[in-house]
Amino acid sequence: MSLDASISLRKGTLELDVALTVGSSGVVVLLGPNAAGKTTLLRALAGLVPLERGRVELDGVVLEDTAAGVRVPTEQRPVGVVFQDYLLFPHMTALENVAFGLRSRGAGRAAAREHALAMLDRMGLADLAAAKPKALSGGQAQRVALARALATEPRLLLLDEPLSAMDAGARAELRRGLTRHLAAYDGTCLVITHDPIEAMTLGDQLVVLEKGRVVQAGSPAELSSHPRSRYVADMLGLNLYRGRAEGRSVALSGGRRLVAADPMPEDGDVFAVIPPRAVALHRILPEGSPRNVWKGVVEDLDIVGNHVRAHVSGELPIIAEVTPGAVASMHLDDGGSVYVAVKAVEIEVYEA
Amino acid sequence: MTSRRSQAGERGTGGAPLPKGPNSDARADARERDTSPSLAVVAGDAISPPQRPEPAPWWAPASEIRRAVRPGGDRAPFGFVPLAVVAVVFLTLPLVALLARAPWRSLPGDLTAPGVLTALRLSLVCSVGALCLSLVFGVPLAWLLARVRFRGRNLVRALVLLPMVLPPVVGGVALLLAFGRQGIAGQWLDRLFGITLPFSTAGAMLAETFVAMPFLVITVEAGIRAMDRRYEDAAATLGAGRWRTFRLVTLPLIAPALLAGGALCWARALGEFGATITFAGNLPGTTQTMPLAVYLALQNNVDAAITLSLVMLAISLAVLVGLRSHWFPSR
Repeated sequence: MSLDASISLRKGTLELDVALTVGSSGVVVLLGPNAAGKTTLLRALAGLVPLERGRVELDGVVLEDTAAGVRVPTEQRPVGVVFQDYLLFPHMTALENVAFGLRSRGAGRAAAREHALAMLDRMGLADLAAAKPKALSGGQAQRVALARALATEPRLLLLDEPLSAMDAGARAELRRGLTRHLAAYDGTCLVITHDPIEAMTLGDQLVVLEKGRVVQAGSPAELSSHPRSRYVADMLGLNLYRGRAEGRSVALSGGRRLVAADPMPEDGDVFAVIPPRAVALHRILPEGSPRNVWKGVVEDLDIVGNHVRAHVSGELPIIAEVTPGAVASMHLDDGGSVYVAVKAVEIEVYEA
Repeated sequence: MTSRRSQAGERGTGGAPLPKGPNSDARADARERDTSPSLAVVAGDAISPPQRPEPAPWWAPASEIRRAVRPGGDRAPFGFVPLAVVAVVFLTLPLVALLARAPWRSLPGDLTAPGVLTALRLSLVCSVGALCLSLVFGVPLAWLLARVRFRGRNLVRALVLLPMVLPPVVGGVALLLAFGRQGIAGQWLDRLFGITLPFSTAGAMLAETFVAMPFLVITVEAGIRAMDRRYEDAAATLGAGRWRTFRLVTLPLIAPALLAGGALCWARALGEFGATITFAGNLPGTTQTMPLAVYLALQNNVDAAITLSLVMLAISLAVLVGLRSHWFPSR
């Protein structure tokens, strides 16, 4: 009961080379920046893009194997897809959209309508069965698309940015609804997103894709404690540095050293993570314990909730989280040079 | 993710592209902002991906074309207004003359004259037949031209479009050489099946199809190129095979192009003169369609010619009115 895929293909400038194993329990979220190859990977799994090399196996059935010359066409794969802008057929009603897959797979007209109506009812859309997609709101269209994909009882459900077409206000509620519907689904489920909040809330497992490669996979907690790429750190709002462990310090390229409190795993390449709230800014050289102090210039300020994130450039660019009060008292909005101080105990180091 | 749409934006055969919608620049900005994972994105919700507005193709429903036109209209360059007035007068004056000279009193009698009804019926049979032949063979051709990359595709497209620019009389001569009794294909048709096309109703239909089918092919090809192919992908993931997808998804989605192309094709077939008279001759009741009857009547009975012309004008107007929502942006 799982998906086992190794996919290698080229499309334009993208070189996709991904090995992916997904169990049938829980939702796997495929996360990555734009043009990372997320949609192409999804299309390859659905059989809409041929593989150059690789193999796709679902619940023990080989869907594609370039070595053996096997390729099951899209329409015969037990795969359901919710496309990015849903792609509901505009000339059909919601009911006809949901019934389309059932009819295509051989169900009789009456049976298909009955089943489709039941699917819509489960999504709370029974009274919109006769509506054309144009008349549906974004959230309703999304649920119709989900009902359409689930109606044929696929073994693999693929969702491409299921919430991206929503406005921010409706998104949280739709996300909860989606989580509920996906929890009721018993097959393998893969969701694509570029939104970290969506990824963290929908996914039991996250797979991070960058430039066609998997850069990190794990639970949301693993990712947020030990990010392994710039992209992951950026989206979590963490400062991430890569360097070489030397004794108790991390040597970064450019000669800068970060001193950590914990002993290093062993000498070798390591990541060092510094949460922005652990970064202190001072106008004058701070006295006392901080082991890591350097000079920088405040380039930019972002307001995030009730905090301010200061982007500090200098020999070691870093993001510091400060209070609005500190911004005012230190006149950080004027730019100018500051001292950056980070306590050794706040730096977490792990193997690269 | 948007590659398919940009591809669709390249469609070339559908006439001059209209300007993009007014929001396109702002949306492009939103897209750029979206690409860099910034902290602002982490904090709030990500910006939703922009829907790129497509320029409306010329056969698009009026409501779509209207969107692309500036509400107030542009100020015309110097001299354009009088020149445009001349053009309009030039195009309408002959029609006005036709109406002014019409023998209204004898019209009912002329219309029901046996020759007129025969020619009218023959015209309808031949033009509808030509439309059906064009649909059956032209739609698959348009699909292949739009979708399949093959060697010599541009050559095939040029050959298909040639009858549009070829003088119809030349087309008629060429048809004779191909399907005439001594023609390279015609002699076999004659010998093997006893089929003789020249000077037959089937021949008239064939001549009209030859001239009219290209109008259908280019219009439908543009329509297929412009449609979002991902709908077909969606149909495939729902278990629909190619034929089912084409029938239930592609065809309804290209319906506006099909309607416009069909109307053009049929109107062109209805008015066909040169190829028909050259290939099929001018036999009353067999190959003498309305345009031929008009020309013949003009030699000895001008009133009858005018009457026949009025009938054809009425038919043309009916087509225009029937498709007005597609061709006329209303206020």
